[in-house]
Amino acid sequence: MRQTVWLILGIGAVALACRAQTLPDAPGKAAYQRACGTCHAAEMVLGRAMNRDQWGAEVADMITKGAKIGDADFPVIVDYLARSFPPAPSPASGSGRGAGAGRGGGGGGLTMGPNDQQVVDPAAEARGRTVYIAECVTCHGSKARGSRDDAPDISRGPDLVRSLVVLHDRYGGAIGPFLAKGHPMQSGKSSASLAQPQILDLSHFLHAMVDETLRGGPYSQPVNVLTGDANAGQAFFNGVGRCGACHSPTGDLAHIAAKYDPVALQQKLVFPRTMSLGRGGRAAISKPVMVTVTPPSGARVTGILVHVDDFNVALRDESGTYRSWKRTPGLKLEKKDPYAAHVELLEVYTDKNIHDVLAYLETMK
Amino acid sequence: MRNPIFPITRAMPVRVVSRAMAAGVLVASGLAGQILDPARLVHPGTDAWPMYNGDYSGRRFSTLAKVNASNIDSLSLAWVFRIGAGESGFSGAIKATPVLLDGILYFTIPDHVWAIDARDGREVWNYTWQSRGGIHIGNRGVAVSGNWLYFETPDCNLVSLNLKDGTERWHTPICDLDQFYFGSIAPLVIKNHVITGVSGDDLDIPGYIESHDPETGAVQWRWYTHPNTGDAEAKTWPNSDAMMHGGGMTWGPSTYDPELNLLYFGTGNPQPVIAGKARQGDNLYTESIVALNPDTGRMAWYFQSSPHDTHDWDAIEVPMLIDGTIGGRPRKLLAQASRNGYFFLLDRTDGKNLVTAKFAKANWSKGIDAKGQPIPDPAKMPQPNGALVSPNQGGAANWPPPSFSPLTGLFYINASDAWSIYYIYDDDEKPEGWAGNDRGGFSQTSLEAIDYRSGKIVWSHKWEGPGTRAGVLSTAGNLIFTGDAANNFVALNATSGEPLWHANLGSGVTNGPIAYELDGTQYVVAGAGDTLWGFSMVRKP
Repeated sequence: MRQTVWLILGIGAVALACRAQTLPDAPGKAAYQRACGTCHAAEMVLGRAMNRDQWGAEVADMITKGAKIGDADFPVIVDYLARSFPPAPSPASGSGRGAGAGRGGGGGGLTMGPNDQQVVDPAAEARGRTVYIAECVTCHGSKARGSRDDAPDISRGPDLVRSLVVLHDRYGGAIGPFLAKGHPMQSGKSSASLAQPQILDLSHFLHAMVDETLRGGPYSQPVNVLTGDANAGQAFFNGVGRCGACHSPTGDLAHIAAKYDPVALQQKLVFPRTMSLGRGGRAAISKPVMVTVTPPSGARVTGILVHVDDFNVALRDESGTYRSWKRTPGLKLEKKDPYAAHVELLEVYTDKNIHDVLAYLETMK
Repeated sequence: MRNPIFPITRAMPVRVVSRAMAAGVLVASGLAGQILDPARLVHPGTDAWPMYNGDYSGRRFSTLAKVNASNIDSLSLAWVFRIGAGESGFSGAIKATPVLLDGILYFTIPDHVWAIDARDGREVWNYTWQSRGGIHIGNRGVAVSGNWLYFETPDCNLVSLNLKDGTERWHTPICDLDQFYFGSIAPLVIKNHVITGVSGDDLDIPGYIESHDPETGAVQWRWYTHPNTGDAEAKTWPNSDAMMHGGGMTWGPSTYDPELNLLYFGTGNPQPVIAGKARQGDNLYTESIVALNPDTGRMAWYFQSSPHDTHDWDAIEVPMLIDGTIGGRPRKLLAQASRNGYFFLLDRTDGKNLVTAKFAKANWSKGIDAKGQPIPDPAKMPQPNGALVSPNQGGAANWPPPSFSPLTGLFYINASDAWSIYYIYDDDEKPEGWAGNDRGGFSQTSLEAIDYRSGKIVWSHKWEGPGTRAGVLSTAGNLIFTGDAANNFVALNATSGEPLWHANLGSGVTNGPIAYELDGTQYVVAGAGDTLWGFSMVRKP
């Protein structure tokens, strides 16, 4: 009987584990495929699960790695991914996996691990956590990463996230036989006394602990970036940083801290061209590079730089007309990057300067 | 010694277990006759590119000069092969360098192998592996020996196919998918060894490199990228548990010196990746250049490019073998432009450092120690509130292969001046996995020509746009072939760096270009996204 229940549970879970094999149809699919498909198998995101902010950070990261995604496409692609691959539901206890956890939910556009990996059931995970706290936590630690180095011998236990029994387990199939051999527990009973449903629950909890260790788990956000000194930040802003040459706390920067959370603001301050989502999910638009082209014969033309390489240059002029030229020796080209001063600062400021300026910007709610 | 994770003894020959299938294969290969002459691997002709790097040295220099700086204007499209054109409709980037043998190009993307005609790009056969999972980020290509082809799969298998028709001969496991290992590199054939490496840094697992029997796939030896307990180098870890789970994946290409009979490769980042507090010390042999005897798997020497790395700067970039002259004396050298921003020149007989020089922005080191190794600056290790670091995680260089021309004496590489902010996310006393990452960034890539003897940059050509991940080829026609940051396949003058020719491929170059000559015609081939492009002098002279 027990075995039958076991089997049914197992089959149900295996069915759950099957991943979608194709990209869902939703607005933005074409933009996503166009931008990402040249380098990645488009199917790479299948099985991943993250919220809009996390997808935004990921797509922004890919842009810095060379992905060609314009201001207009950025929010469209992020929305497609966020809508198609939202976070998995959290366990009932509310203390388990955060957004994006799970083996499908790795960083760097990676779907990782075996296809038949266990899909954690949040309710079972919560029940398993109760069993774990009652019988295992003293020796194996709150995150199942084993006892502390200074633990007394009587409560020393190995790291279960690194355990081969756990990593090879599916729905208790490896953990069950291990525990059936008998293993001391906190209650003084032998682990052989655990019922099969408890073992299945424990299995879900332990796999959740493995998932939490993976990229995209709950430990994938900076904890606290507000460590700076606002006064020192103001001094740098007006002094060495020469920020006042372009910015004003009561002008363009007024309420800047209300637009971005501190981490996004710190990133924006150092890398203003990095695309990011503001509070409320609005995508920030970066300022374009301007270019002036003077052909060997003919008038000079100024506009927004569309494309430049060693051989050709293209711009969109004031009237919105696209124009391009071959770069011949006689053709003059002048680029004006509105963020050039930020690039120069990369070799000027210290980490303390950055944290101080962030603290100063945080005063501009 | 034994790593408890695997029951295989390190650096000890493993008796070949004869399986029924393997026995059958032995007979079949015996009948097949025509075996790839090992001399063709040591001295490939201009009509062959028989391994990932073209030859054992990793120089990616072609002696062909028919296409040269004076006639490059006539180089034009010969053929196009799109992998996504099939009914399956899959996509993905070609990161593999094609292997050329007897007029046929063999290349991969994860789970797929193609054989195409090197003269006109028409498909000869294709093979699809049914995957059980693993990270499908890229596959660098195949190795060949005799009538057989070898490649790794993301789900941890070494697969051998018949070169003639792409039918599978056998497959054998090279790693454990449940521990989040995966396969991505092009194996290397040395005599009767197929050398395989492993990838995967999501969980804290140990790296290793293996040698397999080319006939049966059986493991001949395995070498872990950590020391034996009791070795002096073991003291570079706080305890054996941290060491046994210390990472050091072997996902870069290997090179080989037949005279010294030494195999060279780089090792990847230590684990946990970003948070180093539970692995104080240099963490050998992670982020190191290692020399092994390929017959026994015994280590001859090591040199660590990044002691105690916390930035994911795998030292797996090509360990290039240069026969050069230093102070008037001929020397056997090894050069690496490492992901951490430093160019290293070593004596490849003993691993002694001759040159350490920055080739890109790098703000993470306090200086160079007596062994020539950069000393990490604790202030530039990842911080909970963020540390601005150059290079970024992508690195000053990465896996895309550089090139060396013995004619110019220059080492060519696409180098990035790049910054990002590194954060610790998990402040636990025992962090695991990554426990942090870098965010955002600025990047500017240049094609650099480095004097191998001094590490000095002789010329640098700055690309317009943020970055390129293109490999480099140099030729006796005084040309460099590579990709720019604007989707162009570009030829430059190898002496001056002047751009001479380009073709917009619609996607950036994603592999290392190659050159070969068939029937008197010189071809240059590059991969860009899901397409392989062949160029030649189509017009009759």
